[in-house]
Amino acid sequence: MSAPRPEANHIGGARKLLSKATGARVWKEQRLVLWLHFLLPPVLAALVVAATFATPPLAALLAGAVLFLAACSARGLMSRLSRAEEAKNLLTAQLIQSQKLAAVGELSAGIAHEINNPIAIIAQETEWAAHLLSDAEKASGADFAEVRDSLREIRSQVDRCKNITHKLLDFARKREPVLQEVDVARLVDDMARLVDKEASYKNVTLTRTLPENLPRLRTDAPLLRQVVLNLMTNALHAVDKGGLIEVTAQVDEEFMNIHIKDNGHGIDPKDMDKIFNPFFTTKPPGQGTGLGLSLCHNMVSGMAGQICVESQLGKGTTFTIRLPRKV
Amino acid sequence: MDIKILLVDDEFDFVETMTKRFHIRKMPVTSAASGMEALKLIDEQDFDVVILDVRMPGMDGLEVLRQIRAKRPLTEVIMLTGHASLDAGMQGMSLGAYDYVLKPADFDELLDKVRRAAERKALNVSAQARG
Repeated sequence: MSAPRPEANHIGGARKLLSKATGARVWKEQRLVLWLHFLLPPVLAALVVAATFATPPLAALLAGAVLFLAACSARGLMSRLSRAEEAKNLLTAQLIQSQKLAAVGELSAGIAHEINNPIAIIAQETEWAAHLLSDAEKASGADFAEVRDSLREIRSQVDRCKNITHKLLDFARKREPVLQEVDVARLVDDMARLVDKEASYKNVTLTRTLPENLPRLRTDAPLLRQVVLNLMTNALHAVDKGGLIEVTAQVDEEFMNIHIKDNGHGIDPKDMDKIFNPFFTTKPPGQGTGLGLSLCHNMVSGMAGQICVESQLGKGTTFTIRLPRKV
Repeated sequence: MDIKILLVDDEFDFVETMTKRFHIRKMPVTSAASGMEALKLIDEQDFDVVILDVRMPGMDGLEVLRQIRAKRPLTEVIMLTGHASLDAGMQGMSLGAYDYVLKPADFDELLDKVRRAAERKALNVSAQARG
């Protein structure tokens, strides 16, 4: 590091003094406005003092000006404060959400890890029992069809458990994204082709209209594929026969937004703050693990992005994946 | 950079055509006709990219994928599928497949995906070397 030049130091010192005098700590682009707010009260005070020396009509004029300026300044400050408060609340909510997810992730990964071994042993023993059973059948000539059925059922339930533990471990896996240039339009189309067939069974239309000049994005391709595929599958589950799913994207200076919109049954407002929680599901027991969206949330955070949702009950839902263009 | 490719598919004709096409591009391809054979080859050699059919007799492609990921976490796997099965797609991606290609596969598309998968592996390897 090079030593700071004396004049820079001097400016820094002056700024420090100013900060101390005015109480402002954030300067940058807000500088002008903050200065105006800071300077206005003394100016107003001076005007009031001036008014006491002035003739009545002039005093009235000055009083009016003081009132007007004070009101403007107060309003400006108020809206600035509210905006800051709103931004803070949003950030706090996001922080709580991601901390909650991290905590649950860690806990469930611990459990999944512990349960994995017993599950593997159950699977092995079931296979061994099936083997013994066929030996016994050959030896005795008896038919153990029901026992075999029961073993098969054990096996299929064990597979179900394995599936869940696998997802849980996946959930807690620390992801270091590997950044590559990704053609998002192509990626979306690739994943949509996996969904197309199932969609056509349900008579659901899945459109992807991504702008042709969509720039490439530096991100983690397999992670993005998983998120897009998951959200499209969710959308497919959310719509009825003849439904419509639309995938679109748009970019601005800083972000690329990928929208996955469906005209399905929507999300109940009371469920809205729970949808990203692990194990939260509205599907009947056994039909969903409730891990899909929390995994998506996790993966999008891993890509330094955000996932947002807008939904109207009975009208449909739009999920937006918001990814930074400069990582 | 040479990309070491392993093609796993039980369809002989498909494997033959693909191998030829990769050879024309001066990209050598090793092939395996079953999951078991593939896993044995993977034990012996470090492949960059495995192109893996989802549906094969004997060991299921997803199971092969799971074992490849356990044996060689850095090797990237591209899944090939004849039928666009959503369920298999979801499972494959969550098991860590790099990408999916629907059969009949467009060769240039597949080639591009192989290159990107290899690039990812190289990035991972250098990230690991840095610690």
